[in-house]
Amino acid sequence: MPPTQTQLTVQNIRKSFPGKGGDVNVLDDLSFSINERDFVSIIGPSGCGKTTIFNIIAGLLEPDDGTITYRGQEIDSLRGRVGYMMQKDLLFPWRTVLGNVLLGLETRGVDPKEAEAKAREYLKQFGLAGFENAYPKMLSGGMRQRVALIRTLIMDPDILLLDEPFSALDYQTRLYLEGVLKDAVQTYNKTVILVTHDIDEAVALSKRVVVLSGRPARVKVVHEIDIDASSPVTARNDAKFSTYFKTLCAELDIQTEKT
Amino acid sequence: MTMTIQSSAPVRTAPKLRRKPKRSAFDTVLGRAVLQVLAIAVFFALWEIGVRAGYVSAFLMGSPSGIFAMFYKLILSGELLSDSWYTLFEAILGFIIGTIFGSLLGLALWYSVFVAKLVEPFIVAINSVPKIALAPIVVLWFGTGLISKVALAVSLTALVALIAAYQAAKDADVDLQSLMISMGADKHQIFFKAVVPSTLPSIIATFRINIGFGLVGAVVGEFISSQRGLGHMIFTASSLYDLDSVWVGLFTLMIMGFILYYVIDIIERTSLPWKQATTSHQVQV
Repeated sequence: MPPTQTQLTVQNIRKSFPGKGGDVNVLDDLSFSINERDFVSIIGPSGCGKTTIFNIIAGLLEPDDGTITYRGQEIDSLRGRVGYMMQKDLLFPWRTVLGNVLLGLETRGVDPKEAEAKAREYLKQFGLAGFENAYPKMLSGGMRQRVALIRTLIMDPDILLLDEPFSALDYQTRLYLEGVLKDAVQTYNKTVILVTHDIDEAVALSKRVVVLSGRPARVKVVHEIDIDASSPVTARNDAKFSTYFKTLCAELDIQTEKT
Repeated sequence: MTMTIQSSAPVRTAPKLRRKPKRSAFDTVLGRAVLQVLAIAVFFALWEIGVRAGYVSAFLMGSPSGIFAMFYKLILSGELLSDSWYTLFEAILGFIIGTIFGSLLGLALWYSVFVAKLVEPFIVAINSVPKIALAPIVVLWFGTGLISKVALAVSLTALVALIAAYQAAKDADVDLQSLMISMGADKHQIFFKAVVPSTLPSIIATFRINIGFGLVGAVVGEFISSQRGLGHMIFTASSLYDLDSVWVGLFTLMIMGFILYYVIDIIERTSLPWKQATTSHQVQV
């Protein structure tokens, strides 16, 4: 195995938003780095600015201060090179499943015939053959999110930014899609940053878990997750799983908050 | 406990138990049509009886028999048809130009928040003028022919479309736009792929109102000054106390509006198939 190399570094990022009583510091001097083919989960108290980090990396927001370095080069953002997936599936209701999957390729100006062939192949691979012409409205939540995942993967993004992608789904569907995600990430050699408030999901999927402190967000601790499981379901049965789970709960002060 | 997840096996949800509501014998398409036709027949019969018995003045109100006779006569002479076509043409032309022009302008305002904010009070001000009040000037400017009626219809429809399109563009889902930005899309791509399609339902919804406004513009324009059209026919007939002809004109306008309404209805239903996609055949993972 090649030595782990840093793919993305976020350094000293600051971001504040104007609020009622003056500016609200959401990110204050936040730094972390992501390795090549890493699977990092970011967990932290709700409202600590996890989505803001993603918006900055994706180029939807400009940081007040700080640098982003990608494979040794300083960049403004990874706009156009990330696959952003959110809690809402954000499928375009007027586009069919095929049309939705094609969105990114169209935007990039890929030859339509080539794009369509690729899209059909991806849909087949993810068990959605036969649904090409269905509208999102006709699909279940799990299927919609699967379409959103395909739309993200087909762009061949450098990094997947997943912002609580499964939190709106029922547990069974979530477990299933976690498996689909993990397989896809392995097949396509992707780097993933996953924002979640589901500790269980973070441990089951990740190689590393970054715990953020409350607002303004700072990296509190980074945990290496050393579970070698074939699927998120078997990961949950690993002996080390509950230890990680308890440690992370403690990091998030879940125990103390209750008493 | 080990758990296996069946991946793509379809999960069937139990069919919903539907309680059949009690329906009366007339609550079918045919039954309702019978009742509706019956209501019209009764209305005309009472009117006719009222006129014959001397309770209703035929001079001021006209009479159904007179109306039908006049209708027959005007159809045979071809006058009614040519007047109808003329008015219909003005209304539809005004509707199309006004709706397209207004929608495009409203959508274009999405491009610049600055310009949009700048012109917003002007749009509100112009919209608050009853456009019908413009009719005399419009006739002065555009003459007594076709163009003045179309212009009037445009003035009525364009602002409705503009405001609806602008509002819908403003309300277009920001998350979809963010997603496109993260994909590296530029402003034009976001406009054409995310904003415009999401405004279509609102724009199409204005068709229903605007087709009526198109007719209003055409008829009012004809009232002011014209040689043809249903508005002209109604106006001249009423100044001659020819109430039967007035009613023929009014009923023809009614039928015209009625047909246009359903044409728009069909356009609305067929142009947005994704809205029609029913959730009843929902498919599960």
